[in-house]
Amino acid sequence: MLFSMFLRSFFIQAGWNYERNQNVGFAFALLPALRKAYGVTVPLACPALLPTELNSIGQKGGACSALGGLSSFAKASEEHGPAKLLPSEADLSATERFSSALLRNLGFFNTQPYMAGFILGNVAKMEEKLAAGPENEEAIKTAAEVKQALASSFAAIGDRIFWGRLKPMTTQVCLIVWILGGFYGWLFISGREMPSLWLIMLGPVSGVAVYSFFAVYWRWKGVKLGFECGGASNCGLEAMNWSRFIRRLSVLGFSFSLMIVLAAFALSTAFNSHMRPGPDLALRLGLPLSVLAVHRVAHKSGRSVFFVIGLILSVSLFLFWALKLKPFVL
Amino acid sequence: MILILKALISSSLAGLLELDSVQAGQFLLSRPALVGPLLGALNGCVLEGARLGILIELIYIDFIPVGGVVPPNGVVAAAVGVLAHAWAGVAPSLAFFTGLLAGGMYSFVEHRLRSSRSRRNGVIETEIKAGRERLHYWIAGALLGESAVVSIYVFSFSAAVVLAGGIFQLETFTPAMNFAYSLMPWLGLSGLYFRFRTQMYKRG
Repeated sequence: MLFSMFLRSFFIQAGWNYERNQNVGFAFALLPALRKAYGVTVPLACPALLPTELNSIGQKGGACSALGGLSSFAKASEEHGPAKLLPSEADLSATERFSSALLRNLGFFNTQPYMAGFILGNVAKMEEKLAAGPENEEAIKTAAEVKQALASSFAAIGDRIFWGRLKPMTTQVCLIVWILGGFYGWLFISGREMPSLWLIMLGPVSGVAVYSFFAVYWRWKGVKLGFECGGASNCGLEAMNWSRFIRRLSVLGFSFSLMIVLAAFALSTAFNSHMRPGPDLALRLGLPLSVLAVHRVAHKSGRSVFFVIGLILSVSLFLFWALKLKPFVL
Repeated sequence: MILILKALISSSLAGLLELDSVQAGQFLLSRPALVGPLLGALNGCVLEGARLGILIELIYIDFIPVGGVVPPNGVVAAAVGVLAHAWAGVAPSLAFFTGLLAGGMYSFVEHRLRSSRSRRNGVIETEIKAGRERLHYWIAGALLGESAVVSIYVFSFSAAVVLAGGIFQLETFTPAMNFAYSLMPWLGLSGLYFRFRTQMYKRG
C-alpha cells in the first residue's frame, strides 16, 4: 500500500486547479490507503443505491461496471445471481464511509509536491484509525486540521529546499560539467567549437540525476515516516534538522555560483587576451559587469528579469537597427 | 516536408516533456537545459539547442513556481526557440527571444487550463456521491489535455514564426538581436549569483 501511494505521489500535481489546487492528485495518491482502511478493494459498487435498486441492477448484469470498472458487485451478479447481491448493512456502511473519506480528502490541498509524502503517509494512518472506530466528528475535524497544518509547514520547507536551492543547483551542476569538459559555447555566442554530444547531454543529465535523487528519496521517506508517526501534528517535521540542511545548501549553492561567475570572467578575459588594450577591450570586459549592475538595480527596485531584457533589447535596436552601428557581439 | 514532420515530432515531444514540469514526476526532465539540446539533436542543431536551453534556464531562474504562481514555461520556450531556428531558419539570437516570448505568453494559456480544471471538482464530487470513483480517468484527462495543448501551442507558434519570416525581413534585426543575445549569459549568471547571495544574506 505504501509503495502504491509512493508511486501515485508522482501524480500529486496532476489536475492542479485554482479552486482546490492539488486535491485530485492527493485523493488519487491516497486511494490505496482508503481502500485498505475501509475494506473497499475495488471501485465503488453503487453504495448510494438502495438494496432493492442494487438487486435490479444485478439482474441487468451489473450496470455499475460501466461506471467504475468491473465492480465486485457485477462480478457477484455473474457468479451468484441477483438473489445473493443484497449487501449487508456493514458493507453499505463501509462503502459510504469510504465515499465520505474520499470526499473529505478532495477538499483544498496544497503543499510542496516532493514533500507531499509526509502528509500522505500521515493522513493514511489517520484514516486507518478513523476507519477502525465508529464515526467520530471530532476525530475527523482534528485529522483535517493536522493535514492542513502539515501541508503548510512542509510547503515552506520544501519550497526553500527544492525550488529555492536544489533546482537552481541543477543549472550550476550543468554549467560546472560543461566548464570542466571544456565547453564554453554557452558563454560566447560567436563561438563555433562543437563539443561532443555526450558532453552536451552530460551537463543537464547530471543535474537531473542529482535533483531526482533528492526528490525520489524524500517522496519515499515522507510516505514511510508519515505513516509511522501518523496522527501527530509535528509528524515528519523532526525527521531532520531542516534549517541546517537549508543553510548548507545555501552555502554550497553560493560557492558554486561564485565559482561559475569567476570562471566566466576568467574565460572572458582569456577569450579577449589577443586584443590590445583600448576602448574595444574595455567595452568587452566592462559590458558583463554593467549587465550584472543593471540586473541588480532592477531586482532591488522590484523589476523582473523581463524588464532588463526589454531594456537591453531597446538599447540594442536603437544602436544597431536605428543608428546602424557596426555589428558587435561579446 | 521533412522539416514539418520534424516540427510535429518536436512539438509532440515537447508536449510529453511538459508533463514532467507540473503534472507528473517532476524529475526536471522538462528543464530547458535538457529540452534544448534534445530537440536540437532531433533537428540537427544540437549546439544552438544547448545554448538556447541553458540561457532560457538561466533567465527563468528568477521565477519560482510556489503556490498558484504560473511561471514562464521553459519547455515551450526551448522548443519554440529550437524550432524557430531549425524550421523557420531565423538567427539563433532571434530564435532565443522568440522562445522567451512564447514561454512567457504560455503562462496565460496555463492559467486558463488551471481555471477550467476547477469546474471538474463539482463533477468529481457528484460522481463519488453517486457511487462512481473515476479519479484515474480525471488524472489521465488532465495529462492528455496539458500535453495536447503544449504540442499544439509549440507547433502553432513555430509555424507563425515561419510565416513571419516569409512576410517580414527579420534578418534586418539580426545585428541588434546578436548584441542583446551576447549579453544574455551574463544576465543569467547575474540571476544565478544573486539568487544564492540573497539566501546567504537572509541566513537560510
